[in-house]
Amino acid sequence: MQKGYSIFALVLFLLFFTAESFGQKVFFNEHPTIWKNADILIWSVDKDPAIDPKEFCLSLKRNNSGIGEPKCRLQGEWVRDSVAIRYANWLNANLDPVLKPEYLRARHPAMQAKFQALEDKIVLFVATNGNLVNVAIFDETASEPKAAGSILLSPDKISMGDAIANTFFGGTAKRRLSKDERKKMQTEPDEYFQETPVFKAWAGLGMGYSQAQVPLTPDNWYSSHVNSQVRNYRITKDSVSLWNFLDDSDPYLTFYIGGTWYDFIGIELIYHYAKHHMKTDPKDTVYQELDHWDFSQHEIGLNAIFSRNYKPASWVNITPFMFVGFQYSFFVEDIELKDNVKTPSKAYQARIKFEEAYKGALLGFGSHFIFLKHYGLGLRTGISSRGRNMYVDPSPDAAAEASVIGGSTIDWFIGAGLEYHITVF
Amino acid sequence: MFRIFAIVCIAACALVGCGHSYHWSKSHPLYKKPPYANLAIVGTDEAFVLTRSAWFAKKLGWNPDSIQLKATAFCEEIFLNELRRAYPTFVKIPDEQYKQLPEESQKLDDRIFMKGRLPEQGVALKDSAGNVPPYILILHEFIVGTDLKRETYFDYALIHNENTGKKTSKNISAIVSYTLWDNEKQRPLFSAVDEIQHPIVVPTPKDLETLVRTAVKQIRINLYGGAS
Repeated sequence: MQKGYSIFALVLFLLFFTAESFGQKVFFNEHPTIWKNADILIWSVDKDPAIDPKEFCLSLKRNNSGIGEPKCRLQGEWVRDSVAIRYANWLNANLDPVLKPEYLRARHPAMQAKFQALEDKIVLFVATNGNLVNVAIFDETASEPKAAGSILLSPDKISMGDAIANTFFGGTAKRRLSKDERKKMQTEPDEYFQETPVFKAWAGLGMGYSQAQVPLTPDNWYSSHVNSQVRNYRITKDSVSLWNFLDDSDPYLTFYIGGTWYDFIGIELIYHYAKHHMKTDPKDTVYQELDHWDFSQHEIGLNAIFSRNYKPASWVNITPFMFVGFQYSFFVEDIELKDNVKTPSKAYQARIKFEEAYKGALLGFGSHFIFLKHYGLGLRTGISSRGRNMYVDPSPDAAAEASVIGGSTIDWFIGAGLEYHITVF
Repeated sequence: MFRIFAIVCIAACALVGCGHSYHWSKSHPLYKKPPYANLAIVGTDEAFVLTRSAWFAKKLGWNPDSIQLKATAFCEEIFLNELRRAYPTFVKIPDEQYKQLPEESQKLDDRIFMKGRLPEQGVALKDSAGNVPPYILILHEFIVGTDLKRETYFDYALIHNENTGKKTSKNISAIVSYTLWDNEKQRPLFSAVDEIQHPIVVPTPKDLETLVRTAVKQIRINLYGGAS
């Protein structure tokens, strides 16, 4: 136990020692790419640079096991170039904890060209400034340092190299690209400037919930439907909506496939399933023979979709859309008597029948959230209706006809689905 | 409920900024101490420009052929004298070495970009005696005209708008863009675009003089105000 404590104390001491003994201070660190088997160019204006290239390479290997076989050398070319020397001196005088990288940008076009020509080499700027050593890291992507800091000067070049490697080269190393791969990367369009896809398709499986009442509308619009009960297998106060007969608030399952052209206009085929209980009046003794009485609701619809695509980050697409469409609804009865009932009542025989199919409309909006180009989450909400029987032609004495049962069944729905997306350019 | 709505509206308005306002100056984070006694200047030889020169020639009674030269020299002289009075140690750095530098733009605001030459990083400018002055005021542009608006010169979205032909001029105005340069560390400490309006009835050389003096005063006030 005692030994465990002392080791722990030693580790703590070492951590403290490595972090503090060199007086390391990071001004900013934008985590530049660390390449595997990196070429590291040590750029210093000092006669005797504060780190030794060979020792620094060993420090890198000690501190970052994933870095492979780095090659370190002094950037002699820049040490002999007057533009680079001027910038180096300027940078050394200007490096300050307060300053953001944009204040340290190289303004001279020749210097900017040098940075651009680096390819995947990493430039490590090391310069003595009083009793400190200023450190800055450059890569090909910018003419300003990607990371900067200072370390207390010490004559021990190995420990200086360790401190720099520990502070700035700890990240995961990436494989360097081959010449062909670089060339390909350069000719590839920037992902933010890609063309609008010609066609985008998706398939989704979702769940949701629907109810008769549309949120933010008064209760009394619906109370007569929602509170209504079925007496004697067929009697309700009003039969204009199926919600007079059926429970309205139920979960649903859905499956849909769709596609958009040019991220703008599209169609979607949906299938929708829900199960509703018949709202039988428990006080009514006629139902004592009944085991259950439910209706399965099957709906097939076709939506027109209008959407717009937003790309807030390279790994996510947000596509809000609105849809308008039509649907056919089928209510399939599922009724069963109790086992001991041999002959059902007369009322059972003459029970209410719904139309074979209803035609209705869909209207709503939602959004796809597409991650990593393929994996989507779809959210949507809207209103759907079921209207009169589509097979009945209007007759001259339509006014005299009794209205169709459930001829105005409207509900509100909200749902979420998991989707898979395919993009065709 | 309405109160909450109103507060939300005001907050949204403050966030997105109803009505556009510009930032006309930018300070370096390390600009702590403005120059009090010691100042050098560079860029005055080519900074002064007179617009509506025909109008000025007519009103001031100067020869239209030489009005540009005469008026800019006149303004430059007043400008330098005014600064010389304000700063005990004042030097004018010859423009020769400065003129060879490339033009660069400095961003002051989303749409405000200021064009001008800046000395190279790592190279300190020297005066004719070979000394290195610590602060240099770099004058990029000094535009003299009537009823000028600085946004029409510096907001890139408005630059190509044509001026509507105006007959009467209420003010003579100056638009000055300048940078206070830290010559020791070669960095811009403070950059700004100022607009000065001077009301006139009939313009006289005296009005032009007052305009330039006001401009210098404004520059000095901003140099003090810009330091943090």
